[in-house]
Amino acid sequence: MVPMENYLVLSGIIFSLGVYGVLARRNAVLVLMSVELMLNAVSLNFVAFAAYLDPDKATGIVFAVFVIAVAAAEVGLALAIVIRLFRNRSTANVDEAATMRW
Amino acid sequence: MAEHAWILAAVPGIAFIVMAAFGRNLPRQGDWLAVLCAASIFALFFAVLANFLNLGESAWPVLNSIEWTAIGDFHLRMGIAVDPITIVMLAVITTVALMVNIFSVGYMKGEPRYWWYFAVLQLFVASMLMLVLADNLLLLYVAWELVGLSSFLLIGHYWERRSAVEAAKKAFITTRVGDVGLLIGIILFWDATGTFNILEITEYVEQGAIGDTRLFVTMMFILLGAMGKSAQLPFHVWLPDAMEGPTPVSALIHAATMVVAGVYLVARMLPVFELAGDALTVVLVVGLLTALFSGVVAFAQTDIKKVLAYSTVSQLGFMFVALGAGYVSAGMFHLFTHAFFKALLFLGAGAVIIGTHHHQEMGQLGGLWRKMPVTAATFLIGSLALAGLFPLAGFWSKDEILHAVEGVGSWAFFLLAIAAIMTAFYTTRLFVRTFLGKPQDEEVASHSREPGLVMTLPLVFLAFMSIVAGFFIFHGFGNALGFPGGFGEFLHGGKPFHVDWGLVGLSTALFVIGTFGGAWFYWNGRVDRSTVLAEWQPKVYEMIQRKFYFDDLYQFFIDRVVLGFSYLVSWFDRFAVNDTGVDGTASMTHYTGFLLKHLQTGRVPNYAMAIAVGVIALALVSLAVGG
Repeated sequence: MVPMENYLVLSGIIFSLGVYGVLARRNAVLVLMSVELMLNAVSLNFVAFAAYLDPDKATGIVFAVFVIAVAAAEVGLALAIVIRLFRNRSTANVDEAATMRW
Repeated sequence: MAEHAWILAAVPGIAFIVMAAFGRNLPRQGDWLAVLCAASIFALFFAVLANFLNLGESAWPVLNSIEWTAIGDFHLRMGIAVDPITIVMLAVITTVALMVNIFSVGYMKGEPRYWWYFAVLQLFVASMLMLVLADNLLLLYVAWELVGLSSFLLIGHYWERRSAVEAAKKAFITTRVGDVGLLIGIILFWDATGTFNILEITEYVEQGAIGDTRLFVTMMFILLGAMGKSAQLPFHVWLPDAMEGPTPVSALIHAATMVVAGVYLVARMLPVFELAGDALTVVLVVGLLTALFSGVVAFAQTDIKKVLAYSTVSQLGFMFVALGAGYVSAGMFHLFTHAFFKALLFLGAGAVIIGTHHHQEMGQLGGLWRKMPVTAATFLIGSLALAGLFPLAGFWSKDEILHAVEGVGSWAFFLLAIAAIMTAFYTTRLFVRTFLGKPQDEEVASHSREPGLVMTLPLVFLAFMSIVAGFFIFHGFGNALGFPGGFGEFLHGGKPFHVDWGLVGLSTALFVIGTFGGAWFYWNGRVDRSTVLAEWQPKVYEMIQRKFYFDDLYQFFIDRVVLGFSYLVSWFDRFAVNDTGVDGTASMTHYTGFLLKHLQTGRVPNYAMAIAVGVIALALVSLAVGG
């Protein structure tokens, strides 16, 4: 059986990639995709812990399903915002959307 | 009826509400309602008196109370207690109130706020009756403040005049200093006994429920209240200034009733005072000093009302002396007789003021007896009663007080005798300078005339009372009217009064010295011979005329100490509380906001970076701390 650490390391790598993407990318769609990466890393974590620590109960798996559902809803909402942004500014660059300041 | 004596207070109370609300619109602005109200309580008093005497001594004091409120186990009852002291006070208040109400119809004719004057007069009578009927200190305190309020309103009746406003304020604030003492005293009693009821407090104290020192301190606080109301040294300053009010008010409030509330309070609490160490000696000394002091000051006053005011302060001192010697009956008897002849003198002064079209400086009067014979005759009777001519009212009561202090010591007796001589002296001066001799001011004299019946009738009635009120001291006189003997026996089952001819001779001698001395000094003088002293010893005269600098001293104290301290407090409020505390907080917040607003760039990546850095920092911290 694959040791649990492997899953955790993989999940850590994916999460870090997501964080990097959110911080480094300027295109809103790419930022969104990076967020999805982070969510998936977390889901992976949940499933790994569920399988290794408490196989009888499906607590972690239920959480993973929830995360997927929430991620789907979030993407729907976020893409709508991106589309509105693009319609208004003709760009999807997040640096351009900087009017909420003092 | 005696157990329903509260009706006496309720009638003028209702009259006040009606008159305050509708008085302006009533025919004649409601003065008839005031007289009617005063007459009905005068009649009701006799119903109470008859019932009280019928019940007999075994039923005294007549009690009636209701539960006012309950807090846990503490039941606060409010009610009335009618005993002989109360009856004496009721007699004084209802009689003088009726006379003053009738007199006021003439005196206040055409004055501003006529209806309001009568309304407040009823408020005063209601609260004064409540004060003497109250069976507990709390109710008494409420009434105590209400009479203070009505006094304030009536002194300041002519509030267009600045001096009246100042006098009203002074009266209210000065008595308030004493009232705070009274309140502290009441709270101390409640703390020690758990009750406000005067009879219960007396019982507790007699059982020794309060330690000696504590009892003494408590009684000093109570005495402070009494001294404030009764204008005893050093609180006397407000009473002469209170003469700014309409003259009938001076007669009712500042001579016959409200100012004796302090005497009444001490008389009521006398059994407690007797147990409180040297408390009675303090009462005696205060009274003695006051009697002497104001007797001296009365010499140098030129306004007839001011002379009478200082005379009142002096006579209140006499009453305190009697109580200080432990004689309730002597003190209350002087209160009783003094109320009649001093009210008579004040109303007489009012008649003079009306008759001469508002002249009250003795320098402008003189020779008025030709123009105003009835006023002059009644004023003479009042003066003689005050000076102590045998057998008028003032003679018997002053005799009783002299008799009372005989037991205290010869020093007290001697000083009181001097005060009695001074009384006769300044009274003679007042009468001679106002009514006898040649008119000082022909202009004033030629326009003077006797006021109408509505004003002279109360004078005649009060003159009659000033003659007969003293006879209540006699066993036979009291018996004939249905009392259980004379005044002393009625008040506390004392011994029948016997005329002490030695004392009678002595006080007649005092009267003769004072009166003839005064007459010789002032008779027919075109100038006030008091000014002889001014030429001989100008400094002494000035000291007396300026009332021994009491007012100046208080003014100095207020200007320097009170206002100085107020200035300090207001500075602290302005700079420390307002500028630093309140405004400081606001400007701090504002400035911090000004600095921090630059963090809000509006760029999403900045926020994301902040979140990431924060999370990493937290993770590192938890690693370092949690291991």
